[in-house]
Amino acid sequence: MRKFYSIGLVRGLLWQILGTAIGIGILTGIRYLLGLTPWKPESACVFGALLGALFFVFGIGAVDGWIKMAAGKEAPEPDESSWGRSRYFGVSLDHKVIGIQYLILSLVLMVVGGTFAMIFRSELANTGMQFLTLMEYNTLMSLHGMVMIIGILVGVAAFMNYLIPMMIGARDMAFPRLNAFAFWLAVPASIILLSSMALGGFDTGWTGYPPLSVRAPIGIQMFFLGVSLAGMGTILSSLNVITTALRMRAKGMTGFRLPIFVWGALATSLISLTATQLIGLSFQMVMFQRLFGMGFFDPVKGGNPILFQHLFWFYSHPAVYVFVLPGLGIISELLPVFARKPLYGYKWVAISSFGIALIGFLVWGHHMFASGMAEYLRVPFMYSTLLVAVPTGVKFFSWLGTLWRGKIVFPVPMLFVLAGIVVFLLGGLTGPPNATIATDLQLTDTYFIVGHFHDTMFGGYIFPFFAAIYYWFPKMTGKRLNETLGKVHFWLMTPAFITLSTLMMRIGLLGMRRRIADYDPSLGVTIDNRVMTVAGFLIALSILTFFINAFWSLRHGEIATGNVWNSRSPEWQVPSPMPIHNYDKPLEVVGEPYDYGLPDSVYVKFIEEE
Amino acid sequence: MEHPSKSSVLQLGILVFGALAILTAVEFVIALTTNLWQVLAIIPFVKAGLVLYYYMHISRLFENDEDVDKESFAYKLATNRIGLWLFLLSDLFIFGGLMISRINLLGLTRPDLIQFLGLGVTTILLISSFFANRAEVSMEYGDRKQFLVSITFTMTLGILFLIGVLGVEWRLAPFGPSTNLAGAIFYVMTGFHAFHVLSGVIFLAIVLRNGAHGLYSSEKHWGVEASVVYWHFVDVVWFFFYPALYLIGTLAK
Amino acid sequence: RRYVIIFILVIVSTFVIHEWLMLVHLFPREASIQSIAVDQLFHVHLWVISFLFSLIMVTLIYSLIVFRRRKGETGDGAYFTGNSTLEMTWTAIPLMAVLVLAYAGAKTLGSIRVIDPSALQVKVTAGQWYWRYQYPEFGVTSSDLYLPVNRQIDLQMTSVDVIHSFWVPEFRVKQDIIPGRTVDLRVTPSLIGEYTVRCSELCGLRHAYMEGKVNVVSQGDFDNWISQQQSAAPERPELRGQQLAQDYGCVNCHSADGSPKTGPTWLHLYGSTVKLTDGSSVTADDNYLKTSINNPNIQVVVGFPANMMPDFSTVLDQTMVESLVAYIKTLK
Ligand code: HEA
Ligand code: HEA
Ligand code: HEC
Ligand code: CUA
Ligand SMILES: [Cu+2]
Repeated sequence: MRKFYSIGLVRGLLWQILGTAIGIGILTGIRYLLGLTPWKPESACVFGALLGALFFVFGIGAVDGWIKMAAGKEAPEPDESSWGRSRYFGVSLDHKVIGIQYLILSLVLMVVGGTFAMIFRSELANTGMQFLTLMEYNTLMSLHGMVMIIGILVGVAAFMNYLIPMMIGARDMAFPRLNAFAFWLAVPASIILLSSMALGGFDTGWTGYPPLSVRAPIGIQMFFLGVSLAGMGTILSSLNVITTALRMRAKGMTGFRLPIFVWGALATSLISLTATQLIGLSFQMVMFQRLFGMGFFDPVKGGNPILFQHLFWFYSHPAVYVFVLPGLGIISELLPVFARKPLYGYKWVAISSFGIALIGFLVWGHHMFASGMAEYLRVPFMYSTLLVAVPTGVKFFSWLGTLWRGKIVFPVPMLFVLAGIVVFLLGGLTGPPNATIATDLQLTDTYFIVGHFHDTMFGGYIFPFFAAIYYWFPKMTGKRLNETLGKVHFWLMTPAFITLSTLMMRIGLLGMRRRIADYDPSLGVTIDNRVMTVAGFLIALSILTFFINAFWSLRHGEIATGNVWNSRSPEWQVPSPMPIHNYDKPLEVVGEPYDYGLPDSVYVKFIEEE
Repeated sequence: MEHPSKSSVLQLGILVFGALAILTAVEFVIALTTNLWQVLAIIPFVKAGLVLYYYMHISRLFENDEDVDKESFAYKLATNRIGLWLFLLSDLFIFGGLMISRINLLGLTRPDLIQFLGLGVTTILLISSFFANRAEVSMEYGDRKQFLVSITFTMTLGILFLIGVLGVEWRLAPFGPSTNLAGAIFYVMTGFHAFHVLSGVIFLAIVLRNGAHGLYSSEKHWGVEASVVYWHFVDVVWFFFYPALYLIGTLAK
Repeated sequence: RRYVIIFILVIVSTFVIHEWLMLVHLFPREASIQSIAVDQLFHVHLWVISFLFSLIMVTLIYSLIVFRRRKGETGDGAYFTGNSTLEMTWTAIPLMAVLVLAYAGAKTLGSIRVIDPSALQVKVTAGQWYWRYQYPEFGVTSSDLYLPVNRQIDLQMTSVDVIHSFWVPEFRVKQDIIPGRTVDLRVTPSLIGEYTVRCSELCGLRHAYMEGKVNVVSQGDFDNWISQQQSAAPERPELRGQQLAQDYGCVNCHSADGSPKTGPTWLHLYGSTVKLTDGSSVTADDNYLKTSINNPNIQVVVGFPANMMPDFSTVLDQTMVESLVAYIKTLK
């Protein structure tokens, strides 16, 4: 029992339960003392959940260091070399451990969200309601959206945390404690988010527009709260990433000698550092409206429902670039390795990331073309939205330039990279039709949009994400993922997904609205929906094979401690898995990162202390 | 770089405070006489500029230290600074969002509040900011006694501010959060701000305690600098909230 | 030579893809003037998409095949790191394309929003989960939408609860309906037939089923329909009230037989004394009923939540309210 309790995660969860209970108790108590009706489930749950989250981070010990400092004691970073496996289940300050923790959490969330998708996809396989109630459908659908998105944010954090210090030759992130804290905030946040199912669910979609979200069951509060907390986590971790990339670079690693992924990560972090606050704010305002009857978005009180949409999309559009920029970074990172050729137009690729991010701040209105927002805003938003296509195009063409006259090899990571490019192209090209208002008025809130963003998210995140896993798995574990199973995964997932998304767009054009639990047979989209469901399950199956592969390879995968892909990037110049504080010798950058094919040129060399 | 004499730095602090005080008074008068919202909208930026430059030393962010040894304290300090400022930048967006909401929902109307109380708490916060600066300066020059005194002042004033807003204004306000829009906006803006003030006070308390135990020296006092900069930030936010809530526009019904 | 091959392939595949897109019928019928302009813009997009897709896919696949590492090859690819003029061009060309799209987009938007002063005005009320239509010119209310062909319709839309969205796929236009305000949407049906309006903004549980009939008919049939409605409308107010109570979903919350629902029952309501949350109590006479229909939150009945009952003041004109009251009277 004591041993059990010594596992950080378990301890945290116990504390969270405790905290929730106490929170509910306190609130009810206070209300009782104030002579109000003691039992008010909504406020009780919110307060309880909040306290629960705090208790979690405290219980697991994510704040011990700070408490010590506040108390004026010395708080040296613990030496973790002796901890072994248990590091992964408790608070660790090592960015590699945290990165992998993020990765695991991300995969868990993806599985959960994906399973939700499978459930409601099965419901959609036929017209009429099969086995879900309307509320269940809406809850699953909305949670699918948000869980997946949180999953992505977490996954992005995973690779930024794991890779950046290694890539820039630092021994850790700038603020290891903050790093751990940010991660352990995401865990209770996810739990709270999912707990919304237990509290009656909610029927608002991941966008949670009021007034609907004001009338939804209590579940919506957990949704809002969970997302706000997770948002706080991303803010802190992106803060950390920026500072690290600015301050911890190795000698001679000037801006344009950074590995390209770092550029993507920087642009991403810039967005999540700033914009995230506004989704938090918009959600909290709805929470307050529900709890204290504040009339921000309540037309009866003169409030303005559109205001919410502006606040929400001011984050949620840039957010979509948070998903892709690291993904595109990974693509640009791996292409040269597998084309055995320099990255074409490095500077342009690097800058285009920031181009996308910055323009991305000015386009949120394109989600509101039909919403009845001020007329004069529509056209400017159309222009800015279309403009994003330009820097994105630069990336695509530079990738082609990178492949051109290379010596291309096709291991599994490369396959996923290529699929990523194709799928993201599909997704990207379906963006402009949504951007020109007249056509969007037809497309908005149909499955065409659903198709658009599944393409962009898969092409811009999921595929590169898997590529990255296959690519860096040896670095993380010293084992290599099985190629054959990897190919199975790939050849199941890619065709299945392309079918899924293409059909989504088709039925959307034919007039199927999104977020409907049941559809009109007279639309003649029943067959397509069946096929989509099957395709969905194939994707699920492929991902299942991936997990099997991962667990199998962890045990008896082929040992790979060397420079598996013979890459130039610093982390591959030392044996895998990485030692605790990365490089025992400081490194210095002496060449360009991607000079493949340039005889006897090196990127980094280690400084031998004399 | 050579250090200016301590007294001169303190004098600078006083001058800045004077300027801020005058500007605040001007705001108040304008609001009472001609309700020129354009002016009222500009003045806060001027005040913010002053504080950012003279009290928060934003310029310190841009000191180039490429050649400094990466393991040295100085380098780590600069890193922490960047971290802190990034945090403030991010925080700025919450308050920005609140401002946008206020402008969108209330436009040129404002909640019906007690003018003099508003002026009172604003002055209190302003003075506290002055003492915060004083505390930091005296720590930089290793004058621990003055540091402790000033930081105590800052804290107490901060607590006074909280009492003024939460204790008095919230009670006396002729509306509740659910009465009307103005009410909703008022409570949410002051609420968010008060939360930051509270965390600032706690932060200061910790610094005070550790300072009393002599943990800080004229070279190494990141804790002090951080808490003080944060405190100034909270004050700057209020520069904008004060006119937005008390001065600009006509009474909302 | 490589470039020539690629060029040819791109052109070919562009046309192939475009033709294929034309063959699989992508869009619903075009049933409004607006839809024609919109579809033209769609076709511009289809061209852009087929071209860019071909361009990138062809080059990609070509490189993958031609530049793959052959058996036994070691060694790296050719060493070249970029070419600014090339980068410029492929920044500039998309920029052009974007400008074209932007121009076309703005132009189309303008053309689908031309306002015809002689438009037929229809008041649309959306609620969870129903559509109601009023024809102020003729004093007719209906739960199906009847539209005369080839005349611009000015839909004045409002919602009584949450955001809904008016969409008839064949019309190619869509507009969210926001509670507390009136948004207008212009559409000119051009093809006689039966269509469906599909609420396309998530509005709660039965969002999927919030659909309604739309009949585009000849002017003649339209006139007939109107006159039918006018005569069919029961002349006795209480009957009309009963109808309205059905149409506007009062019955969802108010029972006529005393059974408990979200709102107080109307059985024995008239003339009874009602306790209000402010402690006072009033006798439910005509005025009281009118006020509590027009703005229910002035006098809130004890034991029932305020702000629950939607605000119907924008939706119901006074005659309608009176007929409702007349109906409630009959239940005393
Ligand atoms: C990873 C996420 C991601 C990415 C990268 C994008 C990228 C883009 N998105 Fe997407 N989008 C979403 C995720 C994403 N989107 C989501 C989740 C939603 C729905 C939210 C919801 O309602 O639930 C959405 C919805 C959405 C809408 C609102 C639709 C509606 O609800 O009415 C619009 C409208 O303009 C839009 C446009 C675009 C555009 C123009 C791009 C551009 O960035 C695409 C740029 C790329 C290309 C254009 C291809 C490559 C470029 C070239 C080959 C150069 C030449 C090209 C041209 C000249 C055209 N998106
Ligand atoms: C990155 C984000 C992401 C990802 C990866 C996915 C993945 C999938 N999505 Fe996602 N989707 C969204 C983001 C995402 N979605 C968003 C934001 C929305 C909008 C929500 C809203 O409107 O509010 C949405 C909405 C949405 C809809 C529209 C719902 C509606 O409007 O009514 C549909 C319908 O088909 C759908 C389907 C799928 C399917 C089949 C997958 C599949 O690819 C999933 C496959 C993955 C798994 C199944 C998990 C891994 C599988 C295993 C570990 C095997 C074991 C499990 C099983 C065998 C079940 N999604
Ligand atoms: C969503 C639920 C809902 C709908 C729809 C609704 N009402 Fe109500 N109604 C209520 C509630 C709750 C109350 C009690 C609280 C109050 O008085 O505001 C109420 C009160 C009333 C009263 C006062 C009853 C009394 O006992 O004093 C009248 C009259 C009334 N409604 C008429 C209508 C009419 C007419 C319609 C349709 C045009 C309608 N209601 C639609 C919920 C509803
Ligand atoms: Cu009404 Cu959806
Ligand atoms: Cu967007």
